[in-house]
Amino acid sequence: MDFEPKYTEEQEQFRQEVRGWLEENVLKEIFHPADPADLTWEQYQLRRDLGRKLGAKGWLWPTAPAEFGGGGLDVDRAVVIEEEIDAYGLTNPPYYDSGGRLGGASILVWGTQKQKEAFLPEIFTGAVRTWQLLSEPEAGSDLANVKTMAIRDGDEYVINGQKIFVGSSLGCDYMWTITMTDPEAKRHENLGWFMIPSDLDGITVQPMDLLISGGESGAGSGIKNTVFFDNVRVPAFNLIGGENEGWKVATTHLELEHGTGGRIGRNWLVDRLFEHCRNNPRRGEPMTKDPEVRDRLIDVYIEAEIVRLLNLRNYWMRHSGANITYEGPQASYLRKTAGLRMAGAMLDILGPAGLTYDEELGAAEGHMEAHARAGIVAIHPGGTTDIQKVIMARRIGIGREVRETAGTLS
Amino acid sequence: MDLSLTPEQEMLKAAARRFVQQECPKETLLRIASPDETTPLEVWELLAGTGWLGILIPQEYGGEGGSFTDAGVLFEELGRGPVPGPHLSSGVLAALAILEGGTDEQKRDWLPRIAQGVMRVVPAVTEADYWWFREDVRMVAAGDGDGYRLRGSKAYVYDGGTATHYLCAVRETPDVAGDVGLVLVPGDAEGVKVRELAGFAWNTSEVRFDDVRVGPGAVLGGGFQGGWEALERGIGKAIPVVSAFQVGGCQAVYELSVDYSRTRIQFGTPIGRFQRVQDHVINLVNQLDAARWTAYEALWKLDAGRECADAVHLAKAVGSEGYYQACNFAHEVHAGVGSMTEYGLTLHTAASRTLYHYLGDPRFHRRKLAEALGL
Repeated sequence: MDFEPKYTEEQEQFRQEVRGWLEENVLKEIFHPADPADLTWEQYQLRRDLGRKLGAKGWLWPTAPAEFGGGGLDVDRAVVIEEEIDAYGLTNPPYYDSGGRLGGASILVWGTQKQKEAFLPEIFTGAVRTWQLLSEPEAGSDLANVKTMAIRDGDEYVINGQKIFVGSSLGCDYMWTITMTDPEAKRHENLGWFMIPSDLDGITVQPMDLLISGGESGAGSGIKNTVFFDNVRVPAFNLIGGENEGWKVATTHLELEHGTGGRIGRNWLVDRLFEHCRNNPRRGEPMTKDPEVRDRLIDVYIEAEIVRLLNLRNYWMRHSGANITYEGPQASYLRKTAGLRMAGAMLDILGPAGLTYDEELGAAEGHMEAHARAGIVAIHPGGTTDIQKVIMARRIGIGREVRETAGTLS
Repeated sequence: MDLSLTPEQEMLKAAARRFVQQECPKETLLRIASPDETTPLEVWELLAGTGWLGILIPQEYGGEGGSFTDAGVLFEELGRGPVPGPHLSSGVLAALAILEGGTDEQKRDWLPRIAQGVMRVVPAVTEADYWWFREDVRMVAAGDGDGYRLRGSKAYVYDGGTATHYLCAVRETPDVAGDVGLVLVPGDAEGVKVRELAGFAWNTSEVRFDDVRVGPGAVLGGGFQGGWEALERGIGKAIPVVSAFQVGGCQAVYELSVDYSRTRIQFGTPIGRFQRVQDHVINLVNQLDAARWTAYEALWKLDAGRECADAVHLAKAVGSEGYYQACNFAHEVHAGVGSMTEYGLTLHTAASRTLYHYLGDPRFHRRKLAEALGL
């Protein structure tokens, strides 16, 4: 076994190239607001610029096929890129692009050659930012219950309906959207996915007022929205995977969203918490010398290590073609529940300083306060923790007559 | 990055699994575990024949010279039994301590016999005030001519009942600041008394030393200085292997639980259809995987020569908690059937409790982890 990517000399040279390039191109002006909702238009543009530059190098989506604008690089190089970008506390892409990540992968699996040529290069070069639009008022955990209707009319589909808890602040170029394509057909056989340009007539985006949305550092969505479709006419070409074939596309999409892709980055929030406790005194000593603080920090550390290792396992399984079953939803479940427990540990460790972003008194520039909220909200996106457990049980082979298989990943 | 096993490790895994299936069915393990057992070493003789007892002992001392990951793979399979020792105590911990602190002569003399299984050396460290810090060793070996006289009691000696020798942690004087050395004492020496501790403890004994005389050659490394440190380094390397054994235990009770929840019918349906039951199975597999990957990362770090104090303490804290909780969840799935001795789950439940604190419990290792992280 080897838990670290083995770096060849070639990779180390590549790392120097990436590092040097990032030093020149990641601007000092890029910073991470504790609450991603505070991301300004200017900050967002800096990140998009960085994304386009990464895209031009083939580093934005390093393993995506080069013929569609991706990097066409092997995993060894992708790992180097991910590590080096992670060192800046950024993700790749360095902004919220859920539809690019999940729609891009789904189109690679289910799109026609022409669709791949039409949609993927814009995604993989960073020319566009895409939201994913799944949830509806009546379709949360039960995604197959979506009611947003797409009815064929000549060379177009006419879309009507409402999506909720979607997107981010500061807009998007495309909406990767699941709809119903046949109101008469059976459940799971009545769905279709569309890549919808966001500037079409009849689309209204209305920001929601939520506890928080978003996640730490480079890819927080900031806010969530309700999106209304009112007789939106979408070219039939933009239907991916075929009419009434949407559920099979969803399995690919959900597999990735449920964490099967794995990741290899650090948990920056844990680092910030430890840093804060090392550098701040309590009764004349660093907080880390308080036995109860130490105990709770170890709680946080152990859970973060377990999540790191399971993400690493999934990353390796995915890239080595291993047979993945329950591991994706497992990583998602543990990441989410550990995040909420971490918020509890912060409450013990920091007290009220962890509940304010007051410039003078708030702990760690407000990052702790943001997690006190985000730890709660992060329980539900991409399937609630309970849904993750339902999927795990099916994949383990105890929930149903026939063991459920994992969705196809590119 | 490559989290797969090598072809050789896959072969070892398959062979060890076959061994456990064929030679250690639950009927055999239950017989060995019963209080009126007369042949506790029934499996041991077979295990000795495989050569696996010397997996971590270098070839120059008659062992296999395997890697830590090799040992982890082997002991994970033995943990599925769970196959009783003293394989971990003798073949892993004692062998590692001797490698760390023994003289050349001691290594040449003792290690080949440990590898063959004819010498079963069991570390006897902890006393009535159970804990794994150096200052918790109170027993004294007073100088007597050119040798020593041991007087005192080692409580809670894991595998104490099946040892041929004890590697006994003792001080020269009662001063807790003084050195702690390791002294090899034959189990049949005059004054050694072993008492198996009855109850839920798994293969645990009290070993009393009533004026037991040993010669100068019995002291590991030839002197008391550095003895504890050798043991501690040995413990640091043995822990991930113990954790792998715990992983095997978790894996076994997970498979039992999945199987049971698919076949046990209540209310006209397999109980695995009930989400309450699924919760237990999912909690179980989460404990299993946490234990597995913390253990194997620590094993890899040992093999790769990385700084690994934090990974080792993490592996033991998570592995001990994991095996303990995994058994609890398995009992939730099995209800009454799980508590029937003949079903076999309780073999693991008992093992999980004793291994929980063997070489330090989760609280102990969390404290050490905090130190390793520089908190």
